[in-house]
Parts: sequence; C-alpha cells; structure tokens
Amino acid sequence: MMATHKVQIDDVVRDATPAEVAQIEARQAEAEAQAEAAEARAVARQAVLDRLGLTEQEAQLLLGS
Amino acid sequence: MGIPSGYTSAQVVQAVPTGINSALVLISSTTIGNAVSSVTVSNAFSSTYDNYKILISGGASSALGGLSLQLGATTTGYYWSVPRLVYGGAASNETGANGSSFTSVGGMNADGLGMNVDLIAPFLSKNTFYYSNQVANGTSSVAGGGGGFLNNTTSYTAFTVAPSSGTLTGGTIRVYGYINS
Repeated sequence: MMATHKVQIDDVVRDATPAEVAQIEARQAEAEAQAEAAEARAVARQAVLDRLGLTEQEAQLLLGS
Repeated sequence: MGIPSGYTSAQVVQAVPTGINSALVLISSTTIGNAVSSVTVSNAFSSTYDNYKILISGGASSALGGLSLQLGATTTGYYWSVPRLVYGGAASNETGANGSSFTSVGGMNADGLGMNVDLIAPFLSKNTFYYSNQVANGTSSVAGGGGGFLNNTTSYTAFTVAPSSGTLTGGTIRVYGYINS
C-alpha cells in the first residue's frame, strides 16, 4: 500500500498525488543514501586513523578537515 | 533602538527610501502547514531581482535530519558539495552529482527548522548557484559551508523545500530579493 503524504503549495495543503508520493519517497531515499555514504566515509576515515595510531585532532592538524 | 529620522515607527522597513540602493526586500512569507512532506513557494523569483535569500525558522520536524531544496519541477542536474565536521569530531562531508535536489541545505529536528540559502540567478536563463551553511541541530550532528549549481539554464519562478525524512510542521519560509542596483 502506498504511503500517504501531504504537500503544501503556497498556503494550500493537500494529499500528494501518486506521482508526488513517488517523488517524495525517491527524494527521501536519496537523502538517506547520502547520509549513509557520509557515515561510511567517516567510518573508513576512522579505521585509517586507528591503523596509523592518530587521533582525530592529530589528523586535522596534519591534513586539515 | 530609537526611531530613525524620517520614519514614523520602528517597524521593519520593507519599502526602500529614495537614495538607498542596497537592501533585501521581503518577497513572500509562507507559514508551513501541519505534517507536510514538502512545501512549494510559487512566484518567488522574477525579473525584478537577480539574486535571492531564503530563510526558514521556527517550526519542527518529525525526525532529525536535513532540508533539501529543489527548483521548479527539475529533478536532475543538481551538483553540490558540503564539507562538514561533526560537532567536536571528524569530517562528515556530503556531496552529490546530477542529483534530484540540493540535499543538505538546512537542519531540522523537533525543536526547530533552520535554513539560510543564497540563490544566484534562479530566474535568469543561466546556471543557478546556491551558497549555504548547513547547520544540523542534533548534538551529534554536523555543520559546514557548502554550495552547488543546477546544471541547466532554465528560468525558475518557484522552489520546493522538503525534509530528508518525516514531515514538517510550522515555521516560516521567507524569501528576500537582493536589489539589483
């Protein structure tokens, strides 16, 4: 069953059309994927730092952010 | 603060007195409804201004996350990068190429929504640029300055703001124009 969503156009709030629901869900899936990718990069960075025996602060001193 | 010479009240001045050529002018103010998954502001951009500021404040979201920005009905061609740091911690950058929106332009949680975006040339038949500082309002979240561009030359009059997950309730979306002269 398709989830329900409400969309707002200026001051009018209404139920989303099926096409709008698909777009909302695609957008939220993309945002979730971006967040997961950022988290994966952070985990990979920490793993490298751990292997090198560096703290995050030391890494920032050496490499910037 | 006292009332400036030449004015009769201390209210915010939206009309610009003659001789003052640099100002932000409020174009629209939209109150976000209850539990909405997106908010579209129509007729935000026009030939009157080349460049705009969009501010969102107040309100709440049903989930911790970010706010995205989409122009018109365009769902491809968004190129953006947001170098960020976790509060007190490591880098947590986000970036997108040919995405469906500018994904990380604002923050949201149950205690408030926040977005501060400058848009360059959305109405002109040129690339649209955005400049923003994303501030996510969770204690283990992130902040950083980012930007991007929309890889087309479409002229836009509207934009849509949407949460990365969940819904938005309340708060205000204000659009300002930068006077051209």
